[in-house]
Amino acid sequence: MQVTLVGFGVVGRALAGQLRDQHALLERLTGGAVVLAGVCDTRGCAVAPRGLDIDALLAHKATGQSVGSFSSSTGGEGAIARGFDAGFGPAQFVAAQGRLAGDAGPRVVVESGPSDLKHPAPAVENLLAAMRSGLHAVSVNKAPLAVAMAALLEAAAHNRVQLRYSGTVGAGTPVLALARQAALGDRVLGVRAIINGTTNFILHRMASQDEAFDAALAEAVRLGYAEADPSNDIDGVDTAMKLVILANHLHDLRDGGHRPSYADARVQGIRGLSLALIREARARGKTIKLLGSIDVDGGLKVEPTEVDAGGPMDTPRNVNAVCLSLERCGEVTLVGRGAGGPETATAIVRDLVDIARVHRGG
Amino acid sequence: MRIVMKFGGTSVADAERIRHVAALVVSATAEHNVVPVVSAMDQVTEMLLDLADAAASGNSMQAEALLKAVRDKHLAAAYALGAQQAVTALLERLEGLVRGVLALEELTPRARDAIVAFGERLSCAMLAHVLGARAMDGREAGIVTDDHFGEADPLMDLSMYQVGQSLGPLLDAGERVVVTGFVAANQHGVTSTLGRGGSDYTATILGAALRADEIWIYSDVDGLMTADPRSVPDARLLARLSFAEAVEMGKFGAKSMHPRALEPAAAHGVPVRMRSTFKPEHPGTLISDKQAEGGAGAEGGRVSIVRCVPMLKNLAMVNIGGAAMIGRPGSASEVFAALAGQRVNVHMICQSVSEAGISLVVGGGQLDRAKGALEKTLRGVGSPRTIEVVPNVCVVAAVGSGMRGTRGVAARIFTSLARAGVNVIAIAQGSSEMSISIVVEASAGPLAVRAIHDEFSLGS
Ligand SMILES: NC(=O)c1ccc[n+]([C@@H]2O[C@H](COP(=O)([O-])OP(=O)(O)OC[C@H]3O[C@@H](n4cnc5c(N)ncnc54)[C@H](OP(=O)(O)O)[C@@H]3O)[C@@H](O)[C@H]2O)c1
Repeated sequence: MQVTLVGFGVVGRALAGQLRDQHALLERLTGGAVVLAGVCDTRGCAVAPRGLDIDALLAHKATGQSVGSFSSSTGGEGAIARGFDAGFGPAQFVAAQGRLAGDAGPRVVVESGPSDLKHPAPAVENLLAAMRSGLHAVSVNKAPLAVAMAALLEAAAHNRVQLRYSGTVGAGTPVLALARQAALGDRVLGVRAIINGTTNFILHRMASQDEAFDAALAEAVRLGYAEADPSNDIDGVDTAMKLVILANHLHDLRDGGHRPSYADARVQGIRGLSLALIREARARGKTIKLLGSIDVDGGLKVEPTEVDAGGPMDTPRNVNAVCLSLERCGEVTLVGRGAGGPETATAIVRDLVDIARVHRGG
Repeated sequence: MRIVMKFGGTSVADAERIRHVAALVVSATAEHNVVPVVSAMDQVTEMLLDLADAAASGNSMQAEALLKAVRDKHLAAAYALGAQQAVTALLERLEGLVRGVLALEELTPRARDAIVAFGERLSCAMLAHVLGARAMDGREAGIVTDDHFGEADPLMDLSMYQVGQSLGPLLDAGERVVVTGFVAANQHGVTSTLGRGGSDYTATILGAALRADEIWIYSDVDGLMTADPRSVPDARLLARLSFAEAVEMGKFGAKSMHPRALEPAAAHGVPVRMRSTFKPEHPGTLISDKQAEGGAGAEGGRVSIVRCVPMLKNLAMVNIGGAAMIGRPGSASEVFAALAGQRVNVHMICQSVSEAGISLVVGGGQLDRAKGALEKTLRGVGSPRTIEVVPNVCVVAAVGSGMRGTRGVAARIFTSLARAGVNVIAIAQGSSEMSISIVVEASAGPLAVRAIHDEFSLGS
């Protein structure tokens, strides 16, 4: 299997490390050697049909340079690197990977660039370019799926390739697969989900330490739960993107209607949430969580919502929870840890193994 | 409002009409955000198809003559409009393609699409020139299809996304555009065409993707009528129709849209207005989700179960009889496979009144081919069967969503036909229960239409 990475940040590098560390295991699970055949970042790309030297590549990237200046002498057999320019960027790189020589196994492009909802088009184009070129695609990038999931799934079907995205929701915890498995054969009446670790950390801290929003946010940043610019998390954008993906993943189990996209979601975050509200809820045995919910008509909503204190949705710190209301089986709640570089890399490996299995089967 | 306006071939048939269309667009632009979609000039698609065939058979004389006719027609209009520069450039590209086909004496479906697409490219360039707008083909607008050249199917979700990406920002920025109807491209950017539904389909795809408020389909008629006014002098214009009714009507040709072209509009709830280029002030027929005021089928205060009575002419019927036909698995599929193999288009499958068996309605021009195919297939089977042909029939249909779940409609139809002395050859009910079609002799068609039209008081 030839794996190509678009984006070589925390997740991309964790994946590269895992491909190196689990080489033998992956060969067993996928039925062939899994090589890192190409990588790109914002500035350039490096390619080696028989696999890049992962240690050398990680060391190179660690110096702050682009993979586009990765020396071909140390890059592994037949490695070449180049910088991007106006005529050759990530999408052209991906298309070129479709023409790469190499083994007969499946070829996969992993989109692991930033989940930028303001500019999702380049990532959509990367995934389309991959599938057009006959490559399977994995995305841990939420933005392209949030705005164009129906289009991307259609492109996958049309090109007879697989599109997988299990790392986008729950990362290490396979929330999407488990939710789907739980709902199969039943009917989904509704979903409520805590799927953003940062906001849950803040809200949990506000409730348990009786701390104001700003102080709890500062603590989240200090501990690395939140980024320097936490807007995506605290304004509900990240939750909403994941909710859209979850709703699409369950879409064919519902009674019809359009596949939802981000524009269909009503989104309200927790920025500046008053501690008084949490105190008041606590007095009534409740606590406030940032919930993403799918209602019985398929409507999508993200907003701070009261849940029972001490109940299954009252998860601590950055722990995720997805609660499905099913017609026959009642409530099923999945709880597990969400994001993290290594966790997300395992989700990608999960997708790669699934792709290899299905690819072999047909 | 955001409006997609589609102009058919007769609306852009010459320079004067193109100017008229431009004036319509300009006046609508004062009030609305407009996306014009344009077909090829009247007759041009046929000319280009002939041209492609002539080139493919190496008939350079005929190809040159057709090329000249295409060139003359467009240059005449282009000079009048001052658009010769854009048109000349396109004509040169077309010529290059035709020479290639002539040299190879081979025409792939893909090459045929590349040639036919010039009809829309040319008319689009002229209208865009007059409007000072940007001419865009379907690919640039974002419509993506599969690789089925000649009759390509849009990848609908992908097209919705890409149209939003490509046209959305242009329109939001107030840029003026004109888009070619009918023309699209596969995901690799190779030109394809939409086949059935053509430019109307382009318009509804754009309308759905851009979340338009309405899609206006301009042609040379005022809108959809309760019946063909040539058979029924008191036929009336239908002010409103549901999507389901319009789809049903489209199956019977009439002046309605191809059902396929209505799909994107119906799926996204964007109303379609059929109207006349020549009477711009006339509101035409509005096809929408909403039922007319006052419930199903209300028309000017009256409620009708049957809304319109379209007729399909120049047909023939083939009855395949014989006891072995009934209940034998596979026999029907053999019949249809044989016909499909000869590219016979089956308009209707019905139960003959007189005999058990399968009755098929095919185009009159395809009758011989259909009969030949069937005889060849059935002879081999060895069981006794008869193939009987009824040339010169037509299909008259009663269409209306109010028919669903209303008792006694069929009885009223047959009573009215009997009273008028019309002999019913065969009948079929649409699976939607929104139509009943009746096969009658060609000469009795208009009489049958009038009888049903009167029975349900559809006239003015
Ligand atoms: N981290 C997590 O826990 C987690 C969990 C689930 C999902 N995800 C998702 O996984 C993705 C990657 O996350 P991350 O933490 O690895 O992010 P990151 O550390 O910021 O890395 C992003 C990488 O993408 C590259 N990049 C940025 N824009 C690009 C473009 N236009 N074309 C090609 N490459 C581009 C960057 O290049 P440079 O190196 O040149 O800057 C960098 O290598 C994000 O979409 C994120 O939402 C992350």
